[in-house]
Amino acid sequence: MTALQFLWVVAVVQGVLLVALIILIILNRWFRLRRSARLQPRRQALDAAMQRWAMGQSPAAQVERALTHLPASLAIDALVTWSARVPGERWQELSRALATPWWARVVRTNYRSARWWKRLECARFLSVAATQHDLGRVLRLLRDHHPAVQIAAATTLERMTSPVLVNAALAQLPQLGPTVQAYYASVLRKARTLVVRHLQQLLQRSKDPRLPRVIEFAGRLEDPGLREPFTALAAHHNQEVRSQVARALGKYPHPQSIVALRLLAQDPAWPVRAQAIRSLGMIADPATLALVRDALRDPEWWVRLRAGLALTRFGGAGRNALLAAEVGVSDASRDMARLVLGLTPQALAEYAP
Amino acid sequence: MTAVIHTGDLAILVYFLVLNSFYALLLVLSIPEIWEQTRLAEDEDFQRLMQSDALPPISILVPAHNESATIEASVTAILTLEYRNFEIIVVNDGSKDATLEQLRHAFGLYEVPRTYPESIATKPVRGLYRSRSRTRLLVIDKENGGKADSLNAAINASRFPLVIAVDADTLIEPDALLRLTRPFLLGRHIAAVGGTVRVANGCTVKDGRVTDARLPRRFLPGVQVVEYLRAFLFGRLGWNRLGGSLIISGAFGLFRKEYLHAIGGYRVTSVVEDLDLVVRLHRYLRRQKIHYEIPFIPDPVAWTEVPESGRILSRQRERWHRGLIAAMWLYRGMLFNPWYGRVGLIAMPFFTFGETLAPVVEVTGYLVTVVGFALHAIDLSFALLFVMVAWGYGMLLSIWAVVLEEVSFRRYRRFGDLLRLLLYASLENFGYRQRTVWWRFKAFWSVFTQRHAWGEMVRKGFETAGSQVAQPAKAGRTDAQQ
Repeated sequence: MTALQFLWVVAVVQGVLLVALIILIILNRWFRLRRSARLQPRRQALDAAMQRWAMGQSPAAQVERALTHLPASLAIDALVTWSARVPGERWQELSRALATPWWARVVRTNYRSARWWKRLECARFLSVAATQHDLGRVLRLLRDHHPAVQIAAATTLERMTSPVLVNAALAQLPQLGPTVQAYYASVLRKARTLVVRHLQQLLQRSKDPRLPRVIEFAGRLEDPGLREPFTALAAHHNQEVRSQVARALGKYPHPQSIVALRLLAQDPAWPVRAQAIRSLGMIADPATLALVRDALRDPEWWVRLRAGLALTRFGGAGRNALLAAEVGVSDASRDMARLVLGLTPQALAEYAP
Repeated sequence: MTAVIHTGDLAILVYFLVLNSFYALLLVLSIPEIWEQTRLAEDEDFQRLMQSDALPPISILVPAHNESATIEASVTAILTLEYRNFEIIVVNDGSKDATLEQLRHAFGLYEVPRTYPESIATKPVRGLYRSRSRTRLLVIDKENGGKADSLNAAINASRFPLVIAVDADTLIEPDALLRLTRPFLLGRHIAAVGGTVRVANGCTVKDGRVTDARLPRRFLPGVQVVEYLRAFLFGRLGWNRLGGSLIISGAFGLFRKEYLHAIGGYRVTSVVEDLDLVVRLHRYLRRQKIHYEIPFIPDPVAWTEVPESGRILSRQRERWHRGLIAAMWLYRGMLFNPWYGRVGLIAMPFFTFGETLAPVVEVTGYLVTVVGFALHAIDLSFALLFVMVAWGYGMLLSIWAVVLEEVSFRRYRRFGDLLRLLLYASLENFGYRQRTVWWRFKAFWSVFTQRHAWGEMVRKGFETAGSQVAQPAKAGRTDAQQ
């Protein structure tokens, strides 16, 4: 074959591909329009059925029938949307009704699918329609390697509390990023007792490298049962652990917390000192005023800022301390006091811990 | 002479084959990416959980220079974004018009003391202002130092761990921030995320929002729609699977602030600060052996106005290419350097040889062909067929971008817009492509002669709902703030 002939072959193939792509685009648009026109009335019928059922005017079976007329993905979308509007007990009635339809059974079998989007669909469905029989499926989905599937499965914990599921979710915590951790903290709210018990055990493993992440998560829960384990970790050798403890203790106004925070406020690492001073400001115990005032002279700017802001939470005594610092001998504390005193209430609120 | 022409021809042919094979690879890689991204974007659970407390707070940085005509509308539009926890830092970069006065009047600004250290050196800050009506707003008034300097000042003042740089004249879709944080929610090690920038010309805009996406009727902005689709939907998506792109649009990209601090923020002497920033980010993270990703996700959208005249477009493209040449030269140490992994071995060579040198090769190709004809060294039918195949391939890539748009997001709902999109994609290679090649080729001359003009960007302003008539929003705006 000559070069010219080869080029001709390429040109013809290109031409065919071009025409095929243009036909594909037009057909795709046409099919989507037709599909949308076909499904729109069914969606409306489902919404109407849901509304009647939610108001107690019709049985769940009618909703189940309306769902059958939609493709599984759209049915799941509708269930997810409506689940936020219907109270829990009533929704459980629908969950039980959704255990038997053929399409729901097909969706449930996808928990083992090799394709992640099928597993995601299953996880989304189970997040609003899981029953006790689905425990094994949810557990497997919680341990899925695709993060989107994991998160969708974790949403199930909002409706279903089981020690097995809670433990599986908590086991993953240290590997999760802060954003995902925060989401887990919100879905695990319902299973608080179980979670706190489990965290108390985790917080005792002082050599666990995942400890800072566990404390970060536990701090979000603000549970009184976690105060003691936190204070016990105040002298931990890892700076990040101490920093997280200093941050968490601000939510526990207790003499033991103050003792731990006094220790942390003298820490060699400035991030720990900054967090400790911030927490002391949150507790605002008059006995710690002198310590916070002294932090205005800290060599680190951020600690001084935290000290200045913390003093504003001590009321009149804190303000007086700032006014005294403003005319004091230390340049560092004078500048910071001047800066903090110059902040308007709105700006202070912006910086509030 | 004939031998030289044949050798030149062969070299150009090999270059053409290698480059287009790489484009084909990007095209193939973009298919699973768009499939995954579309599936995730359509997942309503994400919408629900994105509205939870778990979302990371974001600082939105808005550099503004002589933006008095639009600044109030822009800031108001940003303030109404669907996101729980964010702050806006507007930097008045020594504007000569009434930008600061407009902000002061519209948002009831009052001066506050500075409460942060200057981590990145910038031009002197003249004052800081907070708003009586909008607590999320902080305005920095500083001496003129350019866009990069303004962004650095905003980074210094920002309080949150994620920052996004937004042009004052860019329209962000209400849910774009929510979508942009998706990779963080999926627990990945994200250093930065890029979203899609689309062309706002021709669209209906109401209250700072694109309410009806339409395709421009004029050829020049219309063909840029195809260019943007191609660049974002298959170019950058394909790069997700090849170690991340070197470009996150300066008009719309989310960054982890600690890394920006670590690299010293934006480089003020750079012509194209966004490219420079991302290359330095890659370099820093690779050197520090930090596990990271810089993905592009297609569903968060920001709309921007593109030039409608050839003169302005030529300056923009010339400047972009000048920045590319400068960045590739400045960071040439990363080229083919295995220390930088896929960035050094794939991205840098592609951007150097495939993007930076492409106009030189193409212009040389046209010249060799003309000389070859003159000397009867090239067979006419072969040359014409070759050019046809080369252009056909370009057309195929453009049409493929339209296919990706159609199977995923379908922003242009009208059938007429779709047909026009196909028409622009088909005509792009006849005239327009050659003009852009020439503009980019001229950038080499500018670099050689050390001419560093920013060029002038005259904006027509966004069309308003109902009237569909363009209102001149501002004139004489310098491209330095693009």
